[in-house]
Amino acid sequence: MKKLVWRNLIRNPMRTFLTIASVGLALFILCLLAALLKAMEGTEGTAANRMVVRHAVSLTFTLPESYGEKLRRLDHVLEVTTLNWYQGQYIDDKPENFFPRFSSEPDTLFEVFDDNLIPPDQLQAFKDDRAGFVAGKTLADKYGWKLGDQITIKGDIYPVDVQLNMVGIFENPKVRSSERQIFFQRRYLEEAMNNPGAVGTYWLKVDSPASVPAVVRAAEAMFANSDAPVRAETEEAFALSFLEMLGNVRLLLGSIGLAIVVSILFITANTMAMAARDRTREVAVLRTLGFRTGQVTGLVLGESVLVAVLGALFGTTLAWLVVKIAAGALADFGVYGNLAVGPGLFGVALAAGGLIGFLSGLLPAVGAARTDIVDGLRKVA
Amino acid sequence: MKIPLKYNWRSLLERKSTTVLTVLSIAFVVLVFIGVLSLATGLEKAFSASGDPRNVLVLRDGARTETESSISMENFRTLAAMPQVERGPAGEPLASGELIILQIFPRKDGSESNVVVRGVQPAAKLVRPTFKIKEGRDFEPGKGEVIVGSNIASRFPSLALGQERSIGQVKFRVVGIFEAGGGGSESEVWGALEDIGDSFKRTGFVSSARVRTSSSQSVQAVMEAVKGDQRMRVAAKPETLYYEEQTDQNTALFKNLGVALAVLMGFGACFAAANTMYAQVARRGREIGTLRALGFRRRTILLAFMIEAAVLGLLGGIVGALLSLPLNGINAGTTNFLTFSEIAFQLSTSPGVMLAGILIAVATGVVGGFPPAVAAARQPISSALREA
Repeated sequence: MKKLVWRNLIRNPMRTFLTIASVGLALFILCLLAALLKAMEGTEGTAANRMVVRHAVSLTFTLPESYGEKLRRLDHVLEVTTLNWYQGQYIDDKPENFFPRFSSEPDTLFEVFDDNLIPPDQLQAFKDDRAGFVAGKTLADKYGWKLGDQITIKGDIYPVDVQLNMVGIFENPKVRSSERQIFFQRRYLEEAMNNPGAVGTYWLKVDSPASVPAVVRAAEAMFANSDAPVRAETEEAFALSFLEMLGNVRLLLGSIGLAIVVSILFITANTMAMAARDRTREVAVLRTLGFRTGQVTGLVLGESVLVAVLGALFGTTLAWLVVKIAAGALADFGVYGNLAVGPGLFGVALAAGGLIGFLSGLLPAVGAARTDIVDGLRKVA
Repeated sequence: MKIPLKYNWRSLLERKSTTVLTVLSIAFVVLVFIGVLSLATGLEKAFSASGDPRNVLVLRDGARTETESSISMENFRTLAAMPQVERGPAGEPLASGELIILQIFPRKDGSESNVVVRGVQPAAKLVRPTFKIKEGRDFEPGKGEVIVGSNIASRFPSLALGQERSIGQVKFRVVGIFEAGGGGSESEVWGALEDIGDSFKRTGFVSSARVRTSSSQSVQAVMEAVKGDQRMRVAAKPETLYYEEQTDQNTALFKNLGVALAVLMGFGACFAAANTMYAQVARRGREIGTLRALGFRRRTILLAFMIEAAVLGLLGGIVGALLSLPLNGINAGTTNFLTFSEIAFQLSTSPGVMLAGILIAVATGVVGGFPPAVAAARQPISSALREA
């Protein structure tokens, strides 16, 4: 039996190749699209015990400096740091030269974001140099920055330019995309802006994920009736709020993925139907020889599933390779986050391939088994 | 002598199920292509409807968007007093100082987005000739009233007509819904400049200034006048250009994605077309032999099969384009990541994109059909005729 399936596969190599290639290509596209949507979520590397406190109206409003100490004194809060989105332009405004630039507190930044690793002497240098900045390794490699280098970033949100000295390089082995940003001292920005005492977001490290709800309640209640009410949430919820902003565009992209699956179904179904039809006579001969209906059905179905799974294997492997090679280049075009074809996606794609093969082989298989032997034998071509 | 087209047509009809499946698989490629690009086209339409060729937009020097910009009231008054500025019916300068604030509002589906709350003076409506109240009435300053763009009113429940909601620290009531020619302001909330400024504690400045000129030619003159005044530290650009820049940045993703998907899936559809045509050639060996025996040349047979494949592609293209028609007008909302604010738009399939889709489909058929057609033409008469 197995040998028959195999023989059937290779007797029209062109057709088999074309079918495998089209299934493979479609699953390749599907994997890339799924990886892209996943990367957009940006939730990778978020910590369950890290929280964000921001102005309740929107991110364009800042919070007073004084909130930091009050937040630190809340129960369960271990450490507090700040991030101000400076944005600005480095070199030019092309998307490949865009990366997040934050001002922060050198004393607490690496306590709260403890998955970013920096050598102690470089951290000390960051604390000592008011105009110092630290960059992620991926970014430093991209621009060839070395310790001691100086860069200038032109302000846009902030009407001041900043001149920064490279004092440290941090790594994040778990989430390499976190290495695509730089941090400099908030104090530097404050002084350049005549000390408005403005903080964009507070970042809190709490003792355990279980205490997050309590801290959220306490933080929001504390400032509820002030001029600057806050919204507190987990780092993950914060990341997802950016995804939400994309609106139903995400759903639309998802439906495109579905359209692709449907179109492969047509392509494979088409080929399988052709393959089965070409073999009406053969099937009749097989059945004359004593093969049962079930076996004949299995023969056609088996071939169809095998072709589709081979295609899926080929497509997912290709997607995995492409993502591995091109993730860096894609990041330059604004696709942030960790673009990856993980084992989960791999499994789903393979299963989808098998299902496509099964569904598209079903009709021809039943048809082949149902054909009257005499009719089948009489049929010419 | 040529083989009549009727032959191709009949052949396609002869194997209906194969033809239908191939046409459908090509149609889906076209559908995906047109679908993704309809996102880009829709966004483009929304942005291009936002700018007026007679307006100049003034921002703080260095600011890329209205959200980032601020201009002092003093500088705004200097701008408004420039002689190049057009005057309104009552002799007032058509210069609109506007305060832009972002506030988070929930969409109908519960997800959230930053919506532009724009504090405006009466001139804001005069510099936007397409502005008109669609439902309800205009807001009255000092009474805690706002009006809401038509694109947002239907998608954000708390901003529907008659709703009361705190915007900043004050409760406002939605008293009207406005249209602005399909432009980006239809995704905004408008209130009186002073009311909005007080509610958010942002007073004494505006974010941007829109200046109307007497004709699109005098736009240049205003820009030079602004540039001439070094003290203000502001930059001016044609309003249309400002929105064009945002268009490019926001639609690039969709355009690249659409083209990339079409190319990749196009290959897949080529395979489908090739498969179908190979099967046709294999099954019609005898027919081909007969045609050759009747005196038809190899070239003619090649052409006949190519035409058949092209027709297959064309059918797929037309079906795909037809399938894409219902996409038109689907409401979509996303974030303009340059201004960090909600922009609503309608999916739109432009005739150019549809034509491109159909061309891709025909190309798919031709490319996929070429190798099988060659195979058909190459068959020796004797063996073709001998085939079962």
